[in-house]
Amino acid sequence: MSTLVRNSWLSFSEFAATFGGFQMFSFRLLPYLPGALLKPRLISEQIYSIGVLSLVLTMFGGFFVGTVLALQSYGTLVEFGQVDALGAFAAEALVRELGPVVAALLFAGRAGSAVASELGLMRATDQIAAMELMAVDPIERIVVPRFIAGIISVPLLAAIFSTVGMLGVYLVGVHLLRVDAGAFWTHIHDRVDLFEDLGNGMFKSFVFGISASLMGVYEGFNAAPTPAGVSRAATRTVVITSVWILLFDFILTGSTLPGI
Amino acid sequence: MTILSNQTPANLIEIRDVRYHRGDRAIFDGLNLSIPRGTVSAIMGPSGTGKTTLLNLITGQLQPDEGAVLYEGRVVCPCSRRRLYNTRRQIGVLFQHGALLTNLSVFENVAFPLRAHTRLPEQLIRQIVLMRLHSVGLRAAWQKMPSQLSGGMARRVGLARALVMDPQLIVYDEPFAGLDPIAIGAILRLIRQTNDVLGITSIVVTHDVEEARMLADLIFLIADGKVVAHGTPERMKQDDSPVVQQFMSGLADGPVPFHFPGPDYAEQLQAMSGS
Amino acid sequence: MTNTARGIDISVGLFILLGLGSVIFLVTQSLGSTGLSDNESYTLHARFDHIGDLKLRAPVALAGVTIGRVSQISVDPGEFRATVDFQIDSRFSQLPIDTFASIATSGIFGGKYIDLSPGGDDMVLQDDDEIEFTQSAILLENLIGKFMLNSKSASAE
Repeated sequence: MSTLVRNSWLSFSEFAATFGGFQMFSFRLLPYLPGALLKPRLISEQIYSIGVLSLVLTMFGGFFVGTVLALQSYGTLVEFGQVDALGAFAAEALVRELGPVVAALLFAGRAGSAVASELGLMRATDQIAAMELMAVDPIERIVVPRFIAGIISVPLLAAIFSTVGMLGVYLVGVHLLRVDAGAFWTHIHDRVDLFEDLGNGMFKSFVFGISASLMGVYEGFNAAPTPAGVSRAATRTVVITSVWILLFDFILTGSTLPGI
Repeated sequence: MTILSNQTPANLIEIRDVRYHRGDRAIFDGLNLSIPRGTVSAIMGPSGTGKTTLLNLITGQLQPDEGAVLYEGRVVCPCSRRRLYNTRRQIGVLFQHGALLTNLSVFENVAFPLRAHTRLPEQLIRQIVLMRLHSVGLRAAWQKMPSQLSGGMARRVGLARALVMDPQLIVYDEPFAGLDPIAIGAILRLIRQTNDVLGITSIVVTHDVEEARMLADLIFLIADGKVVAHGTPERMKQDDSPVVQQFMSGLADGPVPFHFPGPDYAEQLQAMSGS
Repeated sequence: MTNTARGIDISVGLFILLGLGSVIFLVTQSLGSTGLSDNESYTLHARFDHIGDLKLRAPVALAGVTIGRVSQISVDPGEFRATVDFQIDSRFSQLPIDTFASIATSGIFGGKYIDLSPGGDDMVLQDDDEIEFTQSAILLENLIGKFMLNSKSASAE
């Protein structure tokens, strides 16, 4: 029993220590941000490697989440005689919640861990040390472009996820479950609000994007320069990012629900 | 106004009474060392004596707890980013495995410092890079990616990159480790030639006694955080202190013990079978 | 520019276009058929004894067609009545001042909304006017209670 307590305490204090280091790292990045916008090529290369290459996964996920959502909610809606609202219900869920959250989680798994491994490997093979010795600032050159690329990519991926999700809902709802197409779209227009739903969703995915990118570059850049260190950095990125996403989701959803 | 001659110190690098510790382990405890200009110096010692730490102290990545590290008579100090970078631009480092940037081709790797620090026209960059690659024998490999190179080739590209900005000092971190005899021969030749032809100073950190003997003008043996012996290779051979003898002859046991320190053998065997 | 560099630029460009296109699509889906977010609207107030579970953004309907949304709900501490503010699309600016506002239920389990029945007066409601004739929400519990009371007195006789 006491081992359990002791291990929990160690994990917690390690978490707290990492958190402090993490904050300092984040502040270190700030001054580089304005300058980085003058190097669009580096950012563009990173958008390719983390955004474009995550596209297929995101679209796949979006489509099937949409279809499942439609199938799942159909039963309940039929009971309440609100089948026509299928589209509206699903659209709201996608745009507010599922799009931002699931797209960000997929991103953390695919791109976050890739960035962490890449940076960790560069650290382990002395590439970062070599850069420093060549008087090139590795933060400016490798870390910041990846960070910015993540912030740009995640909201876009969330929007794509939601849109493809809507396609899935439409195909299942209208063509499979015979919901009336006109009612389907009209209810969506009536119910989904620009600022409340879409605005919140986009804001959330922006926050998630910052978290995922920051975690990935932080873990990778500060990984122990050994093979074990690199793989640990990748795993930690996925786990910690996912936890933060779910936590932020709770906070942001709770505080922006109308009427609360 | 003359800036040269009597102002230029004879020793490129001077390390005076440096103490450095990590945690509660003293890595250097009163280290004194001078590297004269134009020489190839080998820094050797048993594993774990902090040779890489020494490199980091020279390049300013680490600062000594006490004592001073001087480069060209001036203290290497990370007080000003700009000064530190200026010092580093005069030092080329060849890492153990080349440390090439994996997402850039051989050409781009060698061109990297030029692109980062100069505004030379593309044509000139091309010429410089190809010249450097030619001097290490890899001009025809300019389009390859680092993952396609063998260890020895990667190291040679690293050397080309380290030389591309015409440094005054070049530091080799374990350049012979893990190479076959042919590759070792190639690197040996390159180190010597580069040093003499370009008139620069070289520091080689290595364990390989034979190679160091063949290559170096001066050898420094570091053990217990201090320089325990130094001199020309011949002198080192004749030095009869036990530490030097053990290292230079490759004896398994001596001042650096074979057995990891611990309890008495017989006692430990007894204890395990008893209780 | 090498081929791969060009390829990367093209993919990144397409990716960003796809993303922005998705955002625009979602935006178009979020604009209601009343499009109150981009049309002009004016405000009306009404007071009720009980609003039931009427929520913010609930529809305001005329002849069953949504012409506005509830924008604010508050309670008057002095008068103990609920004050509901709602925005009406400016295209419907001809509501007579004797218009009747009641809180109705959409379907059996649907949400509450405000139903407007126009009166016959010549004068019309202006911006920030109050609707005088209101009917509060019919609460299911009260209805059941009344029903039980009636059946009790009926069986008592």
